[in-house]
Amino acid sequence: MSIGMSQEKTVGSATLLELQSMAEARKLFLQRVTWVHHWTNGLFSFRIERPDSFRFRSGEFVMIGLKDGERPLLRAYSIVSPNWEEHLEFFSVKVPEGPLTSRLQHLKVGDYLFLSKKPTGTLVTDALKPGKRLFMIGTGTGLAPLLSVLRDTETHEKFDEIIITHTVREEQELAYRNFLEEEIHADEIFGELLRDRFTYYPTVTRGEFRTRGRITERIQLGDFAKDLGLIGNRFNPQTARVMVCGSMAFNKDMASMLEEHGLKEGSNSSPGSFVIERAFVG
Amino acid sequence: MTFIVTDACVKCKLMDCVEVCPVDCFYEGENCLVIHPEECIDCGICEPECPIEAIKPDDEDTPEQFWLGVNTKYSEIWPNITRKGISPADADEYRDEKDKFERYFSEKPGNTD
Repeated sequence: MSIGMSQEKTVGSATLLELQSMAEARKLFLQRVTWVHHWTNGLFSFRIERPDSFRFRSGEFVMIGLKDGERPLLRAYSIVSPNWEEHLEFFSVKVPEGPLTSRLQHLKVGDYLFLSKKPTGTLVTDALKPGKRLFMIGTGTGLAPLLSVLRDTETHEKFDEIIITHTVREEQELAYRNFLEEEIHADEIFGELLRDRFTYYPTVTRGEFRTRGRITERIQLGDFAKDLGLIGNRFNPQTARVMVCGSMAFNKDMASMLEEHGLKEGSNSSPGSFVIERAFVG
Repeated sequence: MTFIVTDACVKCKLMDCVEVCPVDCFYEGENCLVIHPEECIDCGICEPECPIEAIKPDDEDTPEQFWLGVNTKYSEIWPNITRKGISPADADEYRDEKDKFERYFSEKPGNTD
């Protein structure tokens, strides 16, 4: 197909040319979708090409979206990919009545997405003081930025041990489970780097599972510490650093527990002992 | 819902918030900033970045929504600010002072961008 013809190609209801001019006018990138994977009826992941000039810190989020009439419809999404990866991967829920996700779930390879030019976020190791153990506590699609931070070699220079917890309702919603249990250990770089230093701790709130229940409850009841072989069921403000990414209510519960344990929330301008992703939606 | 800039920003204008805003929804006056309520996506990232806790969710506004009014009005008038500029040299002196808006608020636009 000649370049001239591909310009006329329609993407949804808009032509590529229309999308390009909207992206330019709104100072957005327009990026091609290269991969889509559906985990369940309610969860999927997708990748877009990464613009050469697009720089971000592992754990950050960015705005992505589609054309909606005369304007772009954008939402904040955490980047699943670490900052060295050539593509940008995202992990999303499918909400039938969600203005963006109801359309995003039909994405196909070759479609185009808007991408904002300013990634940002607090779920970055820069916002944490040095420590020994990094606990990354995620629920649902809140796992996304944790996967980014996990695969940044800088994280492993800063911490001796890394723990990722992922809590979902049903076992089948444990997206990236195979990656965290098998694939990453077979990876040339990370297999070695993570050996004996990484724990993946999935929990499921509905149905049978070896580690059942909310992570907040498992921490409070001491099950979490016992399963991991930790001493005491409190986070040590001197050595523990925590990243939290989940629903609004979950973030609030975790924050009050961590504060009660003596940890302080950090930010880019003033690093602390835990950080919370506030921009997470869904 | 949106986030709003409140009294503490007046005369301090530290601008750490501007660096982290994903949608560049801050607008600059001579001695403080405001958020454009319709552009703010409610991500909340700016709130903990402010060293003087000037940014709050709008459900913590006064019952009359005074600060929402200030943010709405001046974000329409002042220029957009997308990078951290130079804070007033005497910002520290006004850090802990209360009710600064009445005493010092300037309607003049800022000029960082």
